[in-house]
Amino acid sequence: MNRLVVPRNYRDAYSGGLPTLSLLVLLICCSLTAPAQNTSQSGTASEPFSIRATHLLGFEGAKSNCNGTLSIQGNALQFQQGGKHATQIKIAAVRDVFLGGESKQVGGLPMTLGKAAAPYGGGRVVSLFAHKKYDTLSLEYVDSDGGLHGAILQLNKGQGEVLRNELVARGAPTSSGRDQSTKQSAGEVAHENQ
Amino acid sequence: MKTNSWSSLIAGAIAILAIAFPGRLLGQTAAGKSTGASGGSTQWSVQVDKVEPGDLDLEQSFQIAIYENLLKELSKTKRFHEVFRDGDRNAREVANLLVLKTTVEKYTRGSETRRAVTTVSGATKLTVRSQLLTREGKVVLKREVNGQVRLLGSNLRATHNLARNIAKTIKQSSWSEAEQPGATPTG
Repeated sequence: MNRLVVPRNYRDAYSGGLPTLSLLVLLICCSLTAPAQNTSQSGTASEPFSIRATHLLGFEGAKSNCNGTLSIQGNALQFQQGGKHATQIKIAAVRDVFLGGESKQVGGLPMTLGKAAAPYGGGRVVSLFAHKKYDTLSLEYVDSDGGLHGAILQLNKGQGEVLRNELVARGAPTSSGRDQSTKQSAGEVAHENQ
Repeated sequence: MKTNSWSSLIAGAIAILAIAFPGRLLGQTAAGKSTGASGGSTQWSVQVDKVEPGDLDLEQSFQIAIYENLLKELSKTKRFHEVFRDGDRNAREVANLLVLKTTVEKYTRGSETRRAVTTVSGATKLTVRSQLLTREGKVVLKREVNGQVRLLGSNLRATHNLARNIAKTIKQSSWSEAEQPGATPTG
């Protein structure tokens, strides 16, 4: 008696599970396409774009080696350090955008002093692991008098390309043949392996 | 006693001369200073050209950093009336304009991690040829300058040291004289 009941239940489960399974597949498909849609939306020129960055040098009015927010608003690239006055350049004034990469020691001066004070060369061992890779985005732009300016920004790994694509999408020219990100990071790796 | 009276007489004569012609003596000193400090009485302006990487595979960030640091360091020297950027239209109307051309000759890519771990290797080194030219293209100063970062600081710090050395070299040189073999300060 029981033998008859059990297969029937299974059959019911399978017959009821098919729509569930198809729904699950549909959901998975939707979840896969959603990021793609987001990526394409982030590339549109009208939306504001904002990213954390370190200004290494070049922007007039901004301190060197200071952290801030880099944003694209309309047709201008803006760097704002905390609540201070923002530095702005027009994207139309940008002559070239270059992407690079660099490996840097983390922790700044306090960490350097700590490593120097560590006994038995312990600081060196710490240095071996206390480094981080960054993207560097170099910009060449001209002022109202036609004078050439250069600016270098440091971003987290992977964000440099996003920013460059964003700038290119909004009309900034780039020398595609001179992208140095892969080349440079390969060089760094080669050096660190030596 | 006789010697004392002679020496006091000479001292008195010098004092009278100094009082009688003070402007002339001061004028001579000023002229001497002007010649020594600015390469002639003419007050020059300078236009910094974009850095030429030569045949080397120098990252664009380094070229930009050298250029920007040069502008900053040359302004600090106060040797030039004005410091113009490459392509600046205002430079066209300036009468006494020199053009600074920088060509990278040697570049050793370093590593900050390697420097921190070993302390003896991983230095970033740059050697450039700096030329000051007149508008007509006549070379008035030619120097080979080094910049490097050996221990502390990021790789880009080499560009700051290089620019500082170039500015120092230009400040110490007198380009009204004949071309001399270049000194190579390091930093």
